Amino acid sequence: MEEPAGSETLLAKVAGTTTRTSRRNRLLANIALYVVAMALALAVSSVLIVAATEAAPFDVFHAMYEGSLSRPSAIGLTLDRAMPILIVAVGGIIATRAAMFNIGLEGQLMVGGLVGAVVALKLGLPAGAALPLTLVASAVGGALWAGIASLLRFWRGVDVVISTLLLNFVAIEVLSFALNKSWLLQETSSNTQKLPQSDRLEPAYQITRIGEQPGFSVSTGIFLAVILAGVVMFALARTRWGFRLKMLGMNPNAARAAGVSMAAVGGGALVMSGAFAGLAGGVVFAGTAFRIQPGYSANIGNDGLLCALIARRNVAATLPVAFFFGAMRAGGGFLAATGVPRYLVDVVQPLLVLAALLPPAVLFLWDRRQALRLARSEADSHDEPALIGAAA
Amino acid sequence: MVDDTPPSARTGEASTSPVAAVELKGITKRFGEVVACDRVDLSVSRGEIHGLLGQNGAGKSTLMKVLLGLLTPDAGTILINGRPVVVKDPLAAAEMGIAMVHQHFSVIGALTVWENVTLGEPGRLDGKRAIRHVTEIAERYGLDVDPLTRLDELTPGQRQRVEIIKCLRRDPTILILDEPTSVLTLSESEELFGTLRKVVLDEGRAVVLISHKLDEILNATDKVTIMRDGRVVERAVTAETDAAGLARGMVGRDVVLRSSAAGLGLLEEAERTVEQRTSATPDLDATGTAAAPVILRVDQARHTTRDGRTLLDGLSLELARGEILGLAGVEGNGQAALEEMLTSLIALDTGTVEVDGVEIRTGRPGSMANAGVTVIPEDRHQAGCVLGMTVAENLVLDDVQRVCNRRIISPRLIRRQAEELIEQFGIKTPSPNTPMASLSGGNQQRVVLARAIRREPKVLVAAQPTHGLDVGAVEYMTEQLRAAAARGVAVLLISTELEEILSLADRIAVIHRGRILGVVDRADVDLERIGLMMGGHPA
Amino acid sequence: MNDISVILSSAIRLTAPLAFAGAGEYVAERGGSLIISIEGMMLSGAFFGILGSSVFGNPVLGLMCGVLGGLAVAMLHANLSYRLDANTFVVGLTLNILALGMTSFLLETIDMTPHRAGQVTVPLLHDIPIIGEPLFVNRWTIYLLLLAVPLSWLVVQRTRWGLELRACGEDPQAADVTGIDVNKRRREGVYWLGLMAGLGGACLSVAQVGLFNQNMTAGRGFIVNAAVIFGGWRLAGVIAGCFLFGFADALRLALPAVGYTIQPQLLIVAPYVAALLALCFFAKRNRRPEALARPFVRGIT
Repeated sequence: MEEPAGSETLLAKVAGTTTRTSRRNRLLANIALYVVAMALALAVSSVLIVAATEAAPFDVFHAMYEGSLSRPSAIGLTLDRAMPILIVAVGGIIATRAAMFNIGLEGQLMVGGLVGAVVALKLGLPAGAALPLTLVASAVGGALWAGIASLLRFWRGVDVVISTLLLNFVAIEVLSFALNKSWLLQETSSNTQKLPQSDRLEPAYQITRIGEQPGFSVSTGIFLAVILAGVVMFALARTRWGFRLKMLGMNPNAARAAGVSMAAVGGGALVMSGAFAGLAGGVVFAGTAFRIQPGYSANIGNDGLLCALIARRNVAATLPVAFFFGAMRAGGGFLAATGVPRYLVDVVQPLLVLAALLPPAVLFLWDRRQALRLARSEADSHDEPALIGAAA
Repeated sequence: MVDDTPPSARTGEASTSPVAAVELKGITKRFGEVVACDRVDLSVSRGEIHGLLGQNGAGKSTLMKVLLGLLTPDAGTILINGRPVVVKDPLAAAEMGIAMVHQHFSVIGALTVWENVTLGEPGRLDGKRAIRHVTEIAERYGLDVDPLTRLDELTPGQRQRVEIIKCLRRDPTILILDEPTSVLTLSESEELFGTLRKVVLDEGRAVVLISHKLDEILNATDKVTIMRDGRVVERAVTAETDAAGLARGMVGRDVVLRSSAAGLGLLEEAERTVEQRTSATPDLDATGTAAAPVILRVDQARHTTRDGRTLLDGLSLELARGEILGLAGVEGNGQAALEEMLTSLIALDTGTVEVDGVEIRTGRPGSMANAGVTVIPEDRHQAGCVLGMTVAENLVLDDVQRVCNRRIISPRLIRRQAEELIEQFGIKTPSPNTPMASLSGGNQQRVVLARAIRREPKVLVAAQPTHGLDVGAVEYMTEQLRAAAARGVAVLLISTELEEILSLADRIAVIHRGRILGVVDRADVDLERIGLMMGGHPA
Repeated sequence: MNDISVILSSAIRLTAPLAFAGAGEYVAERGGSLIISIEGMMLSGAFFGILGSSVFGNPVLGLMCGVLGGLAVAMLHANLSYRLDANTFVVGLTLNILALGMTSFLLETIDMTPHRAGQVTVPLLHDIPIIGEPLFVNRWTIYLLLLAVPLSWLVVQRTRWGLELRACGEDPQAADVTGIDVNKRRREGVYWLGLMAGLGGACLSVAQVGLFNQNMTAGRGFIVNAAVIFGGWRLAGVIAGCFLFGFADALRLALPAVGYTIQPQLLIVAPYVAALLALCFFAKRNRRPEALARPFVRGIT
């Protein structure tokens, strides 16, 4: 189920022929479409607020802004929330570039954090060495989990979408299993009724934070996330590996014919995306949650996947999208003060995501109408009429 | 629309009608600045097979798409039985009695024959009736096929039969066939034309045969309309024309039939070329190649897919330095698997491949390319290039390391290499950074060729290298292949077009069901024998 | 022996919502759509089922509202994916969040007094040992399966619409040439899924639980995805897959009570692993629709 390269190639053809003025018009149309779509999403949310609660929509949105962006401390919280989403998304882009549809990032994140927690809590490592090892172990855990899907794909031809989807549920149960076994991760409290959760990570083992609480305070993990994004951006654009990945994603047949190994490069991309998701799990554990509980992954993996998909093939685009997702998560906590159930965030956020989908979709349809004209003229004359320059 | 009455029962009254079954008047269709059809008139009467001849890109398919309702014309009218009509989509066309056998099949592998035949019709789904009807039509026209088989179990020739049955079931007034013989053996083609005769003579239908092969037009049609650059340039009664005249009309200049035989689909001319080339080079000994060392040796190659289809069944062939070996055969007889094997895409189950005496491991990415085997793939969009990447990137696809410093790509190197190749192969592109997708087909093919030749291969595999190119591009490609052979490259030319093979190859091997049925030297070419072998009869 | 009966009863109760949605997803996937917003459709169905039963004071009308609730999500998905060409996974993930957020939000802001669907006991048959109780003493909604499942099969295998839908799932390009509106057929397939998943969700809330809890479907929608894979894209297999998942869940709930100790996680995970193994080793039997999850763009072959 690789992502089809066809539509993109046709669009590339259109892009190659558009003039500068039409490009400017497109930009303006794009901006206008975004404004309209966002306004629409907020309007729908407002109607919901007015219809179902006493609150005024403005107060509600203001509270979300308060919680996420208004003060340094809020921004710190937003960054904390965005950090793991960004890491997952960067990995997700590696996989989508190679046309490997890894929708099991959530499960890979869960398993990654789990493995990291075992290393951090059970091995009795010295504080200095523990954190890097925890993070590495998390990445390895996520990579191995994605590796199962990779193995199934290249050994038995099992579709990646399907296997990663199924492995998510296996991961939930693996997590539940580990949290219910005292020899694994279950807490070591003296209570007779032990909860299915891990011990809390000692402060010395946690990811360092900078800044103090009522002011700006953020986990240093965010720097890791941004650096990783930068490295991956460069690697995709400028290295031999990135070139091969792109080839594989756009035309697997041509890539294979050119000597690119599907299993090594494609499977490798899948495993690598798992490693990023796993690392994100470790960062959640050692950076913000400090404890593994059932559901500690809190849909971060899926948000990261969504972020990667919205950013398409573009790593740079994951930064604002992840920040937005982080802001929505941070802002949700402040809703309670307005008397509106915090679930409203889970309405506003998807509505905004859907709104963000509309402009590209509309432009896509617009482009496609042009592309279709080309395609038909081409299908007619088997030797495509030259769009630029003369025919051979 | 569809009923059980045998198609012939209702057609009698109209067969003598003086009104044309279909008439197109002044059809014009533009795509941007390209005028695909320019005021085209076409009139087809009942009881005739009408040839529509033209090069690729002449506007034949566009015209038929207009007739089928797949395209809306910018100007012009369509008359069916003298009445003007508007064809808004294929369903409407079907209702008006227009049916088309597509070049790329519109049948679906996972469905059975009867399901395919009834697909796209309105009304209730009635399996039993459809099965009965399929059997009836099949018997009537001698199109032997089992209505309960799944389509993916059929050969290309059988699939085409299903397609024809599907059309005939709708009792069409006019039946359009788009390049129907490209998947058929010579004898299957003859059968097809026999069936068409029957459809035309006994039942008073009209048939339009779209082709770029002069032979077919001469042998099978009653009248012919020639198109060039979107216009009708000539109309004639076939019996009153000859190959030279048709060729002139199609290409727009006097053509030396012999040298262009491949592009024009002229078997006999191509055959004559062979004779002349052979006699012109008498210094070659009887085997033609005995002196040159063997570069590529495939021995007992066997490959079976995961779902159990044997694609290569003990295929063996030898290719010598500086020769062009033509691999002839009907589409779907293992050519694709051989090509993929030589591209390192698939591994052999058993058998060996040697290049220059060294055994090469099959199926390991890049192993063939590293051993000096490069491939011009059959479908350049499939495996030849990445349309979403730039021309420069496409020129280094298979050898990125060349433009890398350590593992980092150097934009300077990639550009320099691209500029060199663009110049050397005359690739027409505004800049190296233009997306591949916006090049014309001929120029895309040059990119693929440039990449293949730059690596200075020992073996060059060219699969259908001229497919879909116009005459000029065909000539360029042909020259390049001859030049490569002259430099000592061993060229394997895989083609379903016998004309192409006859005009290029030194030796001809015939592939059938994944094995080589025989190898013929160009001096001993006997068309009938090759035809028999392509149909599976070892000669 | 009574234990077996109890476990079977519970298994069938747990299977029913899955089976409704499974029949729907079977239809959608045969048309080439891999839809991961079943979870959202079921949740929406469950919520609007309860809301409807509360507003109209009638479980039948509640059920209908639930069906419409599922359909609404499906229509959003289908039109975003097959009209605007938005990526189906983006849409699916987003709609799941939206449905969860929306129902959770409304649950806290609306007071509901649900009406539960009644229990029926089939005379005589319910006396059959072991299977009598599980099969013949149930909330009546469960017997809608006897209609929904065969109907889904008939529609796909025996109608022109189904034939065209299958053509779209196997080879959309060829279907297009034949004159079928591929994206329309696919949308319609997803609508069918919406109806079925809504019904499944409503069946869960209106009949089996009798009220709506936050996130009450708890991943059942994804289980349906797994069941379709497990069933090899054949309806009988899909329903068997649903039962397997339901049965494993029932065992997990029941075994501790009966005094057996078994790893609950192992039980839950078993059907997923079974689905994966089936994919690995019965690849030939489990033929997925050729164009599954591949968007159709006209003019590209």
